[in-house]
Amino acid sequence: MNLNRMGGWVVGTLGVIALLVAPVWLTNSPYLMHLAITSFFYAILASSWSLLAGYAGQFSFGHMAFMAIGAYSAALMGYYVRFTTAATNLCRELSLGGIWIVLLNPQGVTQTNTPNCLEMAKATMPVGAIIMQPPVWAGLLAGILMGALFGFLVGSLVLRLRSTYLALFTIGFSEILRAVISAEIDITQGQSGLKMSPLFPGGISLFGMEFGAAAKVPPYYAMLLLFLISMAIMGWLASSRFGLFIRAIREDEEAAAALGVHVVRYKVLVFVVTATIAAAAGVIQGHYIGIITPNILIILQMSLVIAMAVIGGLESLVSAAIGAIIIEFMLELLRNSFDIGPFSVDMTTWRLVFFGALLMLTLRFRRNGLIHPLITWFSRRNVGQETVANRAAAAAAPDA
Amino acid sequence: MEHGAIFGWTMLWIIFWGIVGGIVTPRVYERRNLDVSQARLGGTAIGAATGPIGLIPLWVFSPTLSSRWITAAGLLIVAILAVAFARADPNNLCVTNGGFVASQLTNGIVIGIIYSLMALGLTLIYSILGVVSFAHGEFYMIGGMVVYYMSVSALFENANPLVWLLGAAVVTFLMGVAFERMFLRVMNTGQIERPKEYAILVTFGLAFFLQYATQALVGANPVKTQRFFPFPNLDIPSQESAWLIKTTSGNIRLFDAVSIPNPRFTAAAIAVILLLMLMWFLYKTWTGKALRAVSQDQQAAAVAGINPNTMNTLAFGMGAMLAGLSGATLVQVFAWLPQVGIPASARAFVIIVLGGMGSLPGAFLGGLLVGLVEAAGTGCIPDTTRAAAYIPAYGMVILTLTLLLKPTGFFGREL
Repeated sequence: MNLNRMGGWVVGTLGVIALLVAPVWLTNSPYLMHLAITSFFYAILASSWSLLAGYAGQFSFGHMAFMAIGAYSAALMGYYVRFTTAATNLCRELSLGGIWIVLLNPQGVTQTNTPNCLEMAKATMPVGAIIMQPPVWAGLLAGILMGALFGFLVGSLVLRLRSTYLALFTIGFSEILRAVISAEIDITQGQSGLKMSPLFPGGISLFGMEFGAAAKVPPYYAMLLLFLISMAIMGWLASSRFGLFIRAIREDEEAAAALGVHVVRYKVLVFVVTATIAAAAGVIQGHYIGIITPNILIILQMSLVIAMAVIGGLESLVSAAIGAIIIEFMLELLRNSFDIGPFSVDMTTWRLVFFGALLMLTLRFRRNGLIHPLITWFSRRNVGQETVANRAAAAAAPDA
Repeated sequence: MEHGAIFGWTMLWIIFWGIVGGIVTPRVYERRNLDVSQARLGGTAIGAATGPIGLIPLWVFSPTLSSRWITAAGLLIVAILAVAFARADPNNLCVTNGGFVASQLTNGIVIGIIYSLMALGLTLIYSILGVVSFAHGEFYMIGGMVVYYMSVSALFENANPLVWLLGAAVVTFLMGVAFERMFLRVMNTGQIERPKEYAILVTFGLAFFLQYATQALVGANPVKTQRFFPFPNLDIPSQESAWLIKTTSGNIRLFDAVSIPNPRFTAAAIAVILLLMLMWFLYKTWTGKALRAVSQDQQAAAVAGINPNTMNTLAFGMGAMLAGLSGATLVQVFAWLPQVGIPASARAFVIIVLGGMGSLPGAFLGGLLVGLVEAAGTGCIPDTTRAAAYIPAYGMVILTLTLLLKPTGFFGREL
């Protein structure tokens, strides 16, 4: 292993350790903790989008839709699924070795007169029957499975579509999803959103300290863990044959197919992987925020993820993730409005204008992003000298 | 709905046989070494329209699927859905009141003409640059904003509304030209890897930038202009029995049944004039012919002495201008916000994909169809809040179906 690669490992390990111990200092500032959690959330989305768009060349605008599918699956499960130890005989239910999975009927928002079947069934159920909300991990599992399923469906539908058509299709998919969620008020409660339980409803003890349900430290580690796991999975995929194949598909699909790359399989796979990761991030974020609304699907959110990935560096997972973290912090720092003479500058909007302009200028003049060149500069700055030294050595000993 | 189940089961039946037809028919045609280019669309349409009754003969005899058969099947699907709807909801205004239906259809066509104008801009850009501008809706929004702020400015307050339209046209044209020169020109110089993906992202970035720049400059309060031209009072044939045409300053009424509000009518009339001017420009002037030549074959056009760079700039500027003009005519119809561009551009995408990317007649036809579908959607669906929420989704369903079944649209070239 040469020095540069070792340097990369050292810097990476130090960075991870810094993120792991950061709560020690941040814990007094819930605001900074919140910012860190949100920035990990965007880092997961931006890096998975960069795997999809930067590595595989599938410019999908529907990435937030997968995230929303994950979050809504978990939220709907929390609303409409109960585990009981006795049959209700009123609701739709499924027996699973002594435990019944009960599906509640939607009670609606506009007319609240639809009775809750479980409430009615309580009268007939045996005394001592336990009714339990599905735990958070079950919601996470459901979200991941739904994300994978929709990733598979969308991936197999867009196989034949190239660049522009793919972008139009995925924007359409995302908008349909938003319309459905906003319109089916009786099930999804529309714009008012679905509440989600905290990640650890009963609190949790970490490192010998007790944390309540509202504490920021457990969600910090949950999101950080998801971030690290997904980076590890995607980094491993990107450096394996899979990564090679999807980059071959990006460069030239026909040529890749001619060389024996199973284009269909790898295109679908990359959609499944990135959709799953986005869905998992959506579940954790939804539980952390405590509510999920269709507004997470507005174009602005997708634009932000794209801006983060592009400004960081579209063709590198780490750069996209670092870009997302930096931009999320900058978005918050630039929030303060100020006055110049008689004009008050509303920074809540102008910061978005700034990032829109930065996105365009980065695309135009720095296609590799702003963070990625820095990383390559640090990791490759000695390569030139080493090459010169090697050549000099080779020239000095020509018969070696 | 009284008997919603009828409609629901009909839909399920149609969807099921459509999927069966769409999956099996191409396999059958492929096995017999026949032309499969229309098989997916044809199989889906005939399956959805007739179910097994039509599909089995189709698979047995496997005739050449002509566009005529597919159109007939498509009309049959619409008819079946209409009958099912009438049976399911017999008291709906769309079923009982013919005048209401005529009014809705006319208004659908009227608004469809303006959608066409906007989509023509997008398809013009695509036909020449090979780029779908994701910022098209933002030019539409800016066109409307320019008209509103001219109409309230001290300088242009009393000017003719046509001057406002001209102002919107100039502003959006110049913005389009500037953007093309700065960001899209490099696509042809080989400095950019994967220019198509670059164009998607950079226009997406432009949309993001323009939308929030507008919001930062003018705020997020909805604005709306007065109607441009009030109608003169007309009563034809006579004041006592004005059954043919009766106008007040805000409304026109035809045949005692069809009622069109003034702002929509004016907007559509302006749009028709603009469409005619655009046709004249594209087919009668040298520059227009040069544009069409570039859209057919860029290299051959360059050989004939047409500078493709100039034509690219012109096309993008004109596309942006058409979007701006359609926004400028509609700012008297809808309340205007920095966000109005998003549904508008989504609609324009639907129209050009439906009509065939890069096809001018396709964009026109697609615009009318989308206008009609939206009018039917708003007028007929009983649950009004749900109908309003689903309108963008209908367009997206059309888009999805077109992309899956016939990605070239009505008149598109081969991919």
